[in-house]
Amino acid sequence: MTLQEAQPITTLLDTRTVQSIADEVWPSLVGDGEAFVPVPVPPPGDVVSAWVDIIGPWTGSVVVTCAPATAEALTESVLMTRPPTVVDAEDVADALGELANVLGGNIKSVLPGESRLGLPQMGVAPPHGRLDDVRSLVGQWRGNFLTITVQGAAPAPHAERDEVPL
Amino acid sequence: MKILVTDDSRVMRQIVIRTLRQAGYDDHDIIQAENGREAFEMVGAEKPDLVLSDWNMPEMTGIECLEALRAAGSQVPFGFVTSEGSPEMREKAANAGAIFLIAKPFNEDTFKDALDGVIA
Repeated sequence: MTLQEAQPITTLLDTRTVQSIADEVWPSLVGDGEAFVPVPVPPPGDVVSAWVDIIGPWTGSVVVTCAPATAEALTESVLMTRPPTVVDAEDVADALGELANVLGGNIKSVLPGESRLGLPQMGVAPPHGRLDDVRSLVGQWRGNFLTITVQGAAPAPHAERDEVPL
Repeated sequence: MKILVTDDSRVMRQIVIRTLRQAGYDDHDIIQAENGREAFEMVGAEKPDLVLSDWNMPEMTGIECLEALRAAGSQVPFGFVTSEGSPEMREKAANAGAIFLIAKPFNEDTFKDALDGVIA
């Protein structure tokens, strides 16, 4: 336990900052005229996530979540593929991971103190910690559900005592 | 001119190469490496005129690659293209001998600003 608890992300990062980072990242990475629109749409039944961890005075993850079909469409847009070229699962993991990586790098740069950025990962989003340590932007890309979540790490489970009761 | 683009993401290597072309640097040989170690070896084998490298990569990071190159006596022009552009990283990059650091997201103008005068 540290003497001074880290501040939750809700006090370190506002929604407007995350949106302004997304406003820069989308046209550069996803394509000209593309945008993350912070207007929620109903979530799909199945989702995939890509994320990067930030380790420093604030520790957590920057997570991008969307439907598998949206991840595929994002990849096609990033790679500017045209039929009959198709993207494979490796391309999708790479493209969604890079989106999380660039968002994460920019979010890291506005957080206080020196931090380290992990490598992109893809799968089921990691669990988050305290509810006040989550900054989430629920929105859409081309009308499809997409969220950008900046979430504190879940506390490590308490170590089991292996003492034998007397 | 031969340019070595280093990034563990194939997608990002493709975007960097596309942006180089959009910025007008379209008549150069482009070679690619997936991490710092591969880039270090390719500098020796391929003798590129410029290295554009990501920072955060498995095996060997971009900054470790640059430090290893300088320790081995290579003075190949080296610039970072990375998702992190904090003042601390820019200082670390400059101290290690990098000539620029382009922070992602970037566009062709960002590339022109950094590369004009570096790429003939």
